[in-house]
Amino acid sequence: MSQPSSAAQVADEVRRIISPADLEAYRRELLTKNDPNAPKVIVCCGTGCQASGSLDVIDAMKKAVAEAGWEGKVVPRVKRTGCHGFCSRGPLVVIEPMDLFYQQVSVDDVEEIVKTTLIGGEPIKRLLYKPPDSKEPVQRVAEIPFYSKQSRIVLKNIGKIDPFNIEDALTHGAYQALAKCLSSMGPRQVIDEVMNSKLRGRGGAGFPTGLKWDSCARVEGTRYVICNADEGDPGAFMDRSLLEGDPHSVLEGMAISAFAVGSNRGYIYCRAEYPLAVRTLTAAIKQAEAMGLLGDNIMGTDFSFKLTVSTGAGAFVCGESSALMSSLEGKVGRPRPKYIRSVEKGFRDSPSNLNNVETFANIPDIIFKGADWFKSYGTERSAGTKVFALTGNVHNVGLVEVPMGSSLREIVYGIGGGIPNKRELKAVQTGGPSGGCIPIPAKFLDINVGFGKLAEVGSMMGSGGMIVMDEDTCMVEVSRYFINFLVEESCGQCSPCREGLTRMLEILTRITQGEGREGDIQLLQEIGTFTNSFSLCGLGTSAANPVLSTIRWFPEEYEAHIREKKCPSGVCKKLFHYEIQAETCTGCGLCRRKCPVQAISGEKKKAHSIDQSLCIKCMECYKNCKFKAIKVL
Amino acid sequence: MKIIMDGNEVAATSGQTILEVARANGVRIPTLCHNDALEPAAMCRLCTVEVDEGRGPRLVTACNYPLRRDAQVFTNSERVRAGRKLIIEMLYTRCRGSELLEELGREYGADFTRFAPNDKQCIMCGLCARVCERVGGKTLTLSGRGVEITVATAFDRASEFCIACGACARICPVQTIKMIDEDGERRILVQGREASRVKLIECVSCGKRFGPVLDLKEINERAGDSKVPPPNQGVCPECSRRNLAARMAERHFEQFETGEEG
Amino acid sequence: MAASEPATEIICQEPEVDFMLLDRIINEDFGGNRETMIMMMQAIQHEYRFLPEPALRYLSQSIGVPLTKIYEVATFYASFSLIPKGKHILQICTGTACHLRGSHRMVEHMIEKMSVSPGGTTEDMKLTLEVVNCVGACAVAPVVVEDEKYYPKADISTLDKFIERINAE
Repeated sequence: MSQPSSAAQVADEVRRIISPADLEAYRRELLTKNDPNAPKVIVCCGTGCQASGSLDVIDAMKKAVAEAGWEGKVVPRVKRTGCHGFCSRGPLVVIEPMDLFYQQVSVDDVEEIVKTTLIGGEPIKRLLYKPPDSKEPVQRVAEIPFYSKQSRIVLKNIGKIDPFNIEDALTHGAYQALAKCLSSMGPRQVIDEVMNSKLRGRGGAGFPTGLKWDSCARVEGTRYVICNADEGDPGAFMDRSLLEGDPHSVLEGMAISAFAVGSNRGYIYCRAEYPLAVRTLTAAIKQAEAMGLLGDNIMGTDFSFKLTVSTGAGAFVCGESSALMSSLEGKVGRPRPKYIRSVEKGFRDSPSNLNNVETFANIPDIIFKGADWFKSYGTERSAGTKVFALTGNVHNVGLVEVPMGSSLREIVYGIGGGIPNKRELKAVQTGGPSGGCIPIPAKFLDINVGFGKLAEVGSMMGSGGMIVMDEDTCMVEVSRYFINFLVEESCGQCSPCREGLTRMLEILTRITQGEGREGDIQLLQEIGTFTNSFSLCGLGTSAANPVLSTIRWFPEEYEAHIREKKCPSGVCKKLFHYEIQAETCTGCGLCRRKCPVQAISGEKKKAHSIDQSLCIKCMECYKNCKFKAIKVL
Repeated sequence: MKIIMDGNEVAATSGQTILEVARANGVRIPTLCHNDALEPAAMCRLCTVEVDEGRGPRLVTACNYPLRRDAQVFTNSERVRAGRKLIIEMLYTRCRGSELLEELGREYGADFTRFAPNDKQCIMCGLCARVCERVGGKTLTLSGRGVEITVATAFDRASEFCIACGACARICPVQTIKMIDEDGERRILVQGREASRVKLIECVSCGKRFGPVLDLKEINERAGDSKVPPPNQGVCPECSRRNLAARMAERHFEQFETGEEG
Repeated sequence: MAASEPATEIICQEPEVDFMLLDRIINEDFGGNRETMIMMMQAIQHEYRFLPEPALRYLSQSIGVPLTKIYEVATFYASFSLIPKGKHILQICTGTACHLRGSHRMVEHMIEKMSVSPGGTTEDMKLTLEVVNCVGACAVAPVVVEDEKYYPKADISTLDKFIERINAE
């Protein structure tokens, strides 16, 4: 790897684990050395918080703690962790053992935190989280609905451990499941346990993981274990957070898989757009190899497993398994035209077991705690939990882990805190660009998340992007957006996908510009159905989902665009205008002041009006009106 | 293994593709990106058929789907025909005037007025790039991706690796690639852009220009020992034939004469 | 994606490629392994901020992969560029979350203000504008990334400040 190795802090003297039992002994040793109740300042350094400036906060915190006078008190440890999930509130700081949750912390707050909280033991009210529609701040992490309503299995260590410190991961139980495999289980038993757990692949298609392992183990040849970390769906960042926050869970899952299928070579194919994840992984592998937890003769046994991180170079289609394997071989990532499964002939034409990041991260606990424990989460058909990246028009944007079968409304309202700006929920989009929009609550009061259920309503689980759309979202424009994305990301080799997408984009564009024609809806359906059934790979055969699902659930929006040349949601600029309702306008003048082109005029406390010839439809007045006096017409 | 194709039981051996079985049994399945000399690429999808192996019908491409168990194949079902019609209509927008597509269009009732033209003079079957990799100088490739995908040479410039074999021009189903021999040079034009320009060799015997001057090393390596003595490599095929005929006649004549005298 | 005529000119103007450096990348960092070609190309791009043609020709000879295949890879993956990039790179994320929060308006703003199209570079080579699909920071959408520094909840004024800064250079 050419990645800078500054992150890989391999200790000078590395303790090599010589047997599975030795791992447990070492873990206990670490636990006695590090008191879990010692004071700690945890600064979230996930990508979201980093974007909001958490690296400056942690530097300032370290400095302030070092300079403060502790007078006999235990000096708190300042610790960086991966993503805590509540990204919209970042930078986040958690003070332990008080379990205090500070949000939107800036460098200027650091000194006060040290003085008031760490030394004085008092919370700082203004940094605490206030739920929407509540005036009372919440102190403890455990009391925040965003966290308390989740079931964090996969994410359990994220935000607790320092991803660059393997000892920290070991105290939280890393590699215990691998030790269990090596000391008391055979490969067959491991496969049976995973089969019995009913774990389904978390990458989107939901193929039973145990079955895949079983098929791979049955094929003769040099076997490979590959992790798909090419998280390309726009609006999805679950895998990124996992890799950045708890890399060892993924590495351990891969090692267990290798043990089960009989492989000693693994690859992680990671998006190049995730430089931090690549650094975390590289460092974690290095540290684990140094301790004998990966590499040759793991924990002194004859099981060896060598892992390499390989990076993509920007191609959504490389999330497709055969394209990923081509790319891993240094070639263009075009899906292979072969009716053969990758478990038989994948990477280097050898049997390859490919799973997604989250799937691997589920493995250690399934092995350590057993399939029955795992099945206690979720539903009969979909066991366990699923991590979603909740984004869009929702209060609490971030990472959310819920049991399979949870209700979408509960996720959006209970965990997500509902829709901001007094808007109504219109749809939830799942499954990334090839997923679909689910009309909640208009057509369904509710839907439970699960592989089968989402497919029934024309969407899919996908890798876990969940985008909340409010009433100001135009479904025709949304479907145009996704098709435009796919037009650029299609590999272009097969004609139904390439030409079908081109034509769908052409038609959708003309509809959003007011040039839609009678018959366009039927034409879109014809092309969409065709593309979905005649294309070569998974990208093509789901490419039309955004179009087909929005036509299915929101036909009236298409009709309004085509027949009345109106965009009811006020998005397609050529198809609407704003008007101020004289009867509701209070004449507060806010819109007049917000308008960047001085198109609004009116006297104080009298109804205002918009000069349509000047209006650029920037939405500023509409967004800011507190009385909903501005209407889309 | 029992294969029923469009209602008739047909002979097939396990591992044969649907296309192979169809052709052996006189069933026509249209193709655009297929050539027997090359690995199937399944890019045009025109050969899509419905196959039912006991779990309900599904769409697969005939060119690369291997038959391994009992199956019913429907090569011309309504679903298949509807899809083929769309493929032809859409590809025609890229390549208006193509006789091949017009003929297919008539067969499948295509309406060429449904989509606006999008002239690219290429249906992106990829045959040229694949044949170039297989027999040529590895000069042509698919470049870019998505709707922007094209056939190109490296850096879009005339390539120094081209051996001017002309396989690309010959294999192109819509005659987009042109091979022009004039003024002592051979030029290969891909969609009007020059992909290669190679000097033609002059026949040492008759003086006619007959083939590209190039380093034959790689070709000889690939072809194995060609048994062509180096001096003869500068002779055009016609002269080569004529000279050989003359030599044979001479030898035969000589033999005959000596025989009679002896 | 195709390298157009002006691109060729610019490539010719480029300073010479350091073959010692290329050797280090190809043979030492990646052991001359063809399968790591994409990562070698990333490392080359990291050094030169684009993929210079002489470097790719040298790569072709070193690892025995036809130049056409390397060109195919270079044009397939979005992160590779065959033309030099500007001194600053401004990425506007147009992932779904950013799109819903108006990132397309920021793209329009940059196009208008700097007369540069997505993927393009300004004439003075100061700025390359890139439109990227999701940088994974959806929670703080819309996001713009200026030379690897993230700007959360960005808007037109974030861009104007950026434009001011680079114009002042």
